[in-house]
Amino acid sequence: MFGLDYSWLSDPAYQQWLLKGILNTIELAALSSCAAVIIGLVGALALTLRIFWLDAIVELFVEVFRNTPPLLQMLFAYFTLSTLGLKVTDPSTGLSVPLLSAFACASISLSLFGGALAIEAFRSGIETMPRSIIEAARSLGYSRWSRFWKVEAPIAARICLPALTNILTNLFKTTSQASVITVPELMYYAGQIYNDTFRTLEVMILVLLIYVSLVSIVTFAMARLERWMAFPGYGKGH
Amino acid sequence: MKAAKLFASTALMALGLLTAGSALAGTLDDVKARGKLIVGVKNDYAPYGYLNDKGEIIGFEVELAKYVAKELLGSADKIELVPVVAANRIEFLTAGRIDVIFATLGVTPERDKVIDFTTAYVSSPGPAVMMAKEATTSKWEELKGKPVCGIQGSYYNKKMTEDFGINLVAFKTQPEALRALRDNRCVGFVFDQMTLDLKVQEADWTGYKVAVPTYEYLPMAGGIREGDKAFQEAVDKAITKAEAEGKMIGWETEFNIPHAEYIAERAKAAKAKLN
Repeated sequence: MFGLDYSWLSDPAYQQWLLKGILNTIELAALSSCAAVIIGLVGALALTLRIFWLDAIVELFVEVFRNTPPLLQMLFAYFTLSTLGLKVTDPSTGLSVPLLSAFACASISLSLFGGALAIEAFRSGIETMPRSIIEAARSLGYSRWSRFWKVEAPIAARICLPALTNILTNLFKTTSQASVITVPELMYYAGQIYNDTFRTLEVMILVLLIYVSLVSIVTFAMARLERWMAFPGYGKGH
Repeated sequence: MKAAKLFASTALMALGLLTAGSALAGTLDDVKARGKLIVGVKNDYAPYGYLNDKGEIIGFEVELAKYVAKELLGSADKIELVPVVAANRIEFLTAGRIDVIFATLGVTPERDKVIDFTTAYVSSPGPAVMMAKEATTSKWEELKGKPVCGIQGSYYNKKMTEDFGINLVAFKTQPEALRALRDNRCVGFVFDQMTLDLKVQEADWTGYKVAVPTYEYLPMAGGIREGDKAFQEAVDKAITKAEAEGKMIGWETEFNIPHAEYIAERAKAAKAKLN
């Protein structure tokens, strides 16, 4: 069809590569997404405590990891940390080897990058809380903590869901950059396949479709979550 | 509408190819009329074609190109060197932007469908593995399951993982792979043997050796357009003459290439043929 040649797909080696690539992409995305959400929650909670030095630490973290390209972070973690001394001695060979594997470097830097963005998303949810709601809770006699957990947090979670969806889909796509530090994910294998077969267009189209499908699963799940959590007066609730 | 456009553009392309084909039928005449040979060479691939400190392109194949220009046009200076890379050299040739490729072009059946080859002049070694001096590995089979650094997109990568079972750790560029080798992220670095032979002679890499030699040699030849018989004969004659005069062996010495039996044999055969 359209003169596209997909005969290379019958090669079991390429099938295996694609499968391995997809699995590694999913693993990397799932791991860093979970970690990013956890970092985001912890960071945003820390900000609500209004402790001067804690605020400074969280803000510094956000500035550093949000304002640097994830590609640079990965390269830094992969090549520079071991030079700075993050090494262990391999008991089987007696050689000094870097502590962090390529996969570890990629998942850590993606988690921190996504985490920094998530902190800001959650913070925006908490800070855009209408004053009237807080005042209403206060006048009903809620303490500071129960006000946060029973009134502010549930509303904030719903407000920041769309922003979180954006962050998670972006994080998913950013996993493709891990091929630069040799994490054998989808793009890593795709590049090798089109270099072998000269079928660049065909490989690109297939990889594009795979990414669209995988990311669609994430956005679909998030949309379902949003609908399930919706309550009257906010977002999709009627 | 779309179909009509597609048809029109295809027809135009076909017309372009036809006219290009007829205009390029006699490259030898074109080169003589122009008084200049336009050659596609590498400029990043020691020892075949690379830049010296002054920014000039030099190397084994550059010398060969100059020799061919001298044979065809009477002067080694009647030449224009066009830097090419593996991904564009064949298109440069078929589009008529260069007359001949002397750019580490391996003779393969896939390429033979698109272009013609001159007589082969180098037997280029395939992949080998560079490892630390202390390494005891000497066979490909012994690398099974071990992490070996390499370069993404190399033609032998599939063989490494599928046939030898190597855990290939492939980088985008050579410096990254070499850095990872130094960091002990891999037990070795797989790359073409010619480059590795030169690399281990560098002061920075004295702690390393070419531990596993290559398993294949690929003849390397010039590339010319298909059916360009008169030009092919003229270039072949020049190459054979260079071989007979021992030029190839001289260039091996000049560019620090280990003397290959293949080139010595060809020099002998060329001498016998011309005498």
